[in-house]
Amino acid sequence: MAAQSSQLSRRKHPGNAQPPRIVLPERLVLGVIGFVAVLIVWELVVDLKLEKASLLSSPTRIVTAAIQDFGSGAIWPHIGTSFLEWGIGFALAIAVGIPFGLAVGMFRRLEYLVDPFLAALYATPTVAIAPLVILVLGIELPAKAFLVFLFGVLPMTIATINGVHSAERRYLDIARSFRAPAMLRFRSVILPSSVPYIIAGLRIAGGHALVGVIVAEFLAANAGLGFYISFNGTTLNSARVFLGILIIGAFGVFYGEVIRRIEAKFEVWRPALR
Amino acid sequence: MHGTEIALSARGVRLEYMDRATRVSMLAIERMDLDIHEGEFVAIVGPSGCGKTTFLKIVDGLLPVTDGEIVVGSGGHGRDHAMVFQDSSLFPWYSVLDNVAYGLVCQGVGKREAQDRARPYIDMVGLSGFQSKFPYQLSGGMQQRANLARALTVDPELLLMDEPFASLDAQTRELMQAELLRICAAAGKTVLFITHQIDEAIFLADRVIVMSARPGRILADIDIELSRPRELSVKRTAPFTAYEDQVWKLIASQLPALGPQRAAA
Repeated sequence: MAAQSSQLSRRKHPGNAQPPRIVLPERLVLGVIGFVAVLIVWELVVDLKLEKASLLSSPTRIVTAAIQDFGSGAIWPHIGTSFLEWGIGFALAIAVGIPFGLAVGMFRRLEYLVDPFLAALYATPTVAIAPLVILVLGIELPAKAFLVFLFGVLPMTIATINGVHSAERRYLDIARSFRAPAMLRFRSVILPSSVPYIIAGLRIAGGHALVGVIVAEFLAANAGLGFYISFNGTTLNSARVFLGILIIGAFGVFYGEVIRRIEAKFEVWRPALR
Repeated sequence: MHGTEIALSARGVRLEYMDRATRVSMLAIERMDLDIHEGEFVAIVGPSGCGKTTFLKIVDGLLPVTDGEIVVGSGGHGRDHAMVFQDSSLFPWYSVLDNVAYGLVCQGVGKREAQDRARPYIDMVGLSGFQSKFPYQLSGGMQQRANLARALTVDPELLLMDEPFASLDAQTRELMQAELLRICAAAGKTVLFITHQIDEAIFLADRVIVMSARPGRILADIDIELSRPRELSVKRTAPFTAYEDQVWKLIASQLPALGPQRAAA
């Protein structure tokens, strides 16, 4: 077994004569090494009692907690609750933010009308509004979804407005020169110009919406990953605090990958930048 | 040789605009009077910033005139005019085929039919086999071929061309000039062509209009009596260089560093 694995690693070693496509990219190798090194140092710091396990936990304790909570199924309702809040709130943010942003970007008078309002909202940390939302709407799912919506809708709207504004004059002139009807001008110039900005908006707003989920569940909840983290925090169960954080982080990474794929699909007309 | 019908008539066209930075009213075009007959190829040359592109935008309807009148077309088939823009004016998010079909789609023609009607023009400009490429996959010369095809596809009576070959390298530019003459002869179009290249104007046109420095007005309207079809070699003949000298002297008179003062011109 040991001989086999050493043979395997020697075959994969970049120094050996191999077709270049099989060689692991340096970037990936170093990234994994760095990650593993942090885990080892973390484990050692706790095992050597340099820091209390009740505060810092350790990789093995987190894995143990994960096996327990996934094994018993106790974690699933928390994940499900958070995901539902995120899904509903963020879907609403998209459904409102993109059309609203397109309209504001296209109609100057509408922009003049709502600009002060948007600027004020943008300057206000959304967290500050959270207690008010809970106060007015309660602590059930609609209140939480609404809070998530609030976190997501503004970045979505502003990214979309920027996208419309990025439509270049020379392309708009072409549409006008060929007498494109308004709807076609929108479809052929404004929308394609906006797409990269809208996708960037999805990336940012999705992250903000995730913050909204956690904030909502910190404030008042009896389920969800935010509740799981804060409850285990008050009971000094730091392994489960870390587990909750890791699940949220993993979801963020997964979501970023989904966006990257969508982006690649929309950008076939762009020359490869790398 | 040319039809008696007027394809474009400009009378006393004047354009003032408000400079956004200084909030001062600026005169871009002082006065333009111009008739173009059907089938004629007219080129406008002039120093940089003389308002030649501005005049073309007025003809295209992209800018309103301050004073004067523009009449385009006799109201026949197809669109009365279409514009061939400067470089990189294809939609980067459309394939060549969709770009060339765009003018028809703008007229309300269904996408499939527009594409079918665009294909012969893609062949005409020599882009067969490139219809599903995106603009970034084409060279500058090929992009301008597609740009030309897009304008031809709407079958305009008058083709407006705004320095379409300005950003091409010298060899590609000469090739495209010869190609343009071939295509125009085949399609029988009236052309108003803007350029700052004197030899390009003389080689292509039946008439060369020389504009003054800003504010723009017409300095001279020169008939180019070189026989057609023209080969690129005509550029090295004595009559051609004589025309070049004539136009260059007019333009040089407008450049402060080279000619007499503007007031004297």
